[in-house]
Amino acid sequence: MFEPMVDVVPSFFAWLNQGPLTLTIFLHTVIILPMIWIYKQEKKRLENEK
Amino acid sequence: MTNKSVWSDSRFWQRSASWVTGFAAILLIWLTFDTSAQISMGTDSDLQNGVTKRVPGPTVINYKITYEMSTKRGHEVPVIGEKEKFFGRDDYSEEEAGELLHLGKLGSQAKNCMDCHTLLGNGGYYAPDLTKAWLDPAWGPEGSLQAMTGKNTKEEAMAEFLQHPSQYPTHARMMPNLGITAKEAKGLVAFLKHLSSIDTNGFPRNFGKIQGAIHGK
Amino acid sequence: MANNHLTGIGSESKQLATWYLTVAAILFGAQLLFGLVAAIQYVMPGFLFEILDFSIARMLHINALVVWMVFAMFGSVYWLLPDETGIETIGIKVGKLLFWVFTAAIVVVVLVFLFVQVGPADETTIWFITEGREYIEAPRWADIGIVVVVLGFVFNLYATGMKGNRSGIVTVIMADMLAFAGIYLAGMFFTDNITVDQYWWWWVIHLWVEATWEVYVGALAAYGLITMIGAHRKVVEMWLWIEVAMLFGSGILGMGHHYFWIGTPEYWWEIGALFSALEPLPLVAMFIHVLYDWGKTQGAQEALGKKTSVINNKPAFTWFVLNAFGNFLGAGVWGFFHTMPQVNLYTHGTQFTSAHGHLAFFGAYATILIGMMYLAVQGTNGIKVLRSTKTSIWAVSMIAGGVLGMTVALTLAGYVQVLVSRAQMGATWAGYFDGQSGMWFSQAMDWRLLMGFVTFLGFLLLAKDLLTTGKNPVHER
Repeated sequence: MFEPMVDVVPSFFAWLNQGPLTLTIFLHTVIILPMIWIYKQEKKRLENEK
Repeated sequence: MTNKSVWSDSRFWQRSASWVTGFAAILLIWLTFDTSAQISMGTDSDLQNGVTKRVPGPTVINYKITYEMSTKRGHEVPVIGEKEKFFGRDDYSEEEAGELLHLGKLGSQAKNCMDCHTLLGNGGYYAPDLTKAWLDPAWGPEGSLQAMTGKNTKEEAMAEFLQHPSQYPTHARMMPNLGITAKEAKGLVAFLKHLSSIDTNGFPRNFGKIQGAIHGK
Repeated sequence: MANNHLTGIGSESKQLATWYLTVAAILFGAQLLFGLVAAIQYVMPGFLFEILDFSIARMLHINALVVWMVFAMFGSVYWLLPDETGIETIGIKVGKLLFWVFTAAIVVVVLVFLFVQVGPADETTIWFITEGREYIEAPRWADIGIVVVVLGFVFNLYATGMKGNRSGIVTVIMADMLAFAGIYLAGMFFTDNITVDQYWWWWVIHLWVEATWEVYVGALAAYGLITMIGAHRKVVEMWLWIEVAMLFGSGILGMGHHYFWIGTPEYWWEIGALFSALEPLPLVAMFIHVLYDWGKTQGAQEALGKKTSVINNKPAFTWFVLNAFGNFLGAGVWGFFHTMPQVNLYTHGTQFTSAHGHLAFFGAYATILIGMMYLAVQGTNGIKVLRSTKTSIWAVSMIAGGVLGMTVALTLAGYVQVLVSRAQMGATWAGYFDGQSGMWFSQAMDWRLLMGFVTFLGFLLLAKDLLTTGKNPVHER
């Protein structure tokens, strides 16, 4: 699954780039996950408003 | 009555939009630092010590450049080889080569090259891509373009063409005379040679490898 | 049917808006004219050779495009600002002065492009003639002037937004326009390193057209739905925030699809491919949103027993709906065609890009900005319901049909170029001209020219309609 890095210059992003999708799936996850926290906060706010 | 859903709540989306935008922007800035370090121009000592740079230093004009398949990377990459004469010399100093490249890059903008040609694939589509123009077999020793100008080297042929383009039509669609001087032409050819040495991740594919397969050529 | 902000009479902000929109329409005409010159040159290469070469015609074509859109965007903001904030735009005198500065600067730049064309290879050319960087060729003195004008515009916007009622739409436009102005600074320097040059050049071009401009269009569509069909502000603004999240979420890192081949590292393949693959999603969302709101408000009215249309500006709404569809088709579908690196390796720098460019700029921006021109016609003439006329219907049909025809023709030309010049011939000088000489390519270029003429005739009708429809007695006053 993990292949030797083919990028010319090693870097953090090159290291995450382990073949199709690894880098973008990681970045998308990091972007989406905090929205769960925002969701929970807003839910609480709406409940308190009631 | 049940509570209003968070999904139809404007504030949730507003906060999400701010988060997503802010984070994407920060990632882009981080990536920019990472990339900037990798695409800064190399130096003369890099070239002498065989250090591979995505964008080599201007003295790359002292060397022979080829475009070869890399099995490790699965596409072609520019390979910098032994010394090669450029306008009769292969000992341009970092300063001299830098000046030539500077002149050529300025020239490429002052003459609006990118409004007909593409450079690195970006620009106009009215004329051939110039990313690897230096490596085009047609400019080489057996090539038709070199023969057409009556010159004996690739660089002299290209410089001659650039100064009097409409004297050497290669198609009904001709390059116009842009008032390019001999000095500017030399700079532009240096710029094109340097351009061909940039590691473009294998673009364009198969450049110059196929000697014609249609029209019975 | 529903609104109280129909009239533009008495608002200086709206008066300034009409000035901006008028110059925009003139520049739109200029864009089409120079586009025609360039299209003729593909078919007859000797046309105006060494008089007005393709490079100059194309440069004027794409620069007029950018400038007319910026003018129309500024005009649209000055138009909607009093409606949204409930107050007259603050610092409008400065705004009006800057309009004349901007217009004068553009005229000088165009004249220099036309008559000086190119310069010697030194810094004076970069400062006074051309910077030679596609889309933003304007020389550096003009760059600095543009920055001053844009700062004045942003000042107008912020001062008004902070003092008046800051609606969700105004908030989005405020944030968006600041980014729009700031990004321009990335395109103002010179470097010998062409990879660095193009890296930052894309910050301007991509972050404009695939991020900030798209968000701006989302905000305009929201405003249009509220004013034209009386859509519910809460619903519209929620949609707008969703669109902002999706547009910026995909668009900012989607920039990676321009970093595949310019010398930048390999990891951009992945970032560019996946983020930009998501770019069509918000465009689908915008399309659904516009049509859904239309159906919803119409249905609500019919439930009350009223059979009349909810639309109070038929031609503007036609252009807005065309925007929803054209944005999705031109920017979304035609962009997705070639956004994967595996495909882009062969399509990059071919007529494919040109096909996408034509339909995307038209579908995403030209349409909605023309719609704003109709809103201004309605407002300045105090019309309650602006109806379509024969001319307005012919204009929209011919322009949309013409651009679609050009796009299809360029797409076919792109196929030939990809297959012959790139895949078969390996992208050399000879390979390039082999592709260009093929019958499929040259016929496609004939069709493109023909469709260009159709578009231009449509523009003439549009100009006529915009100038005359305000006095037409068919409208309800």
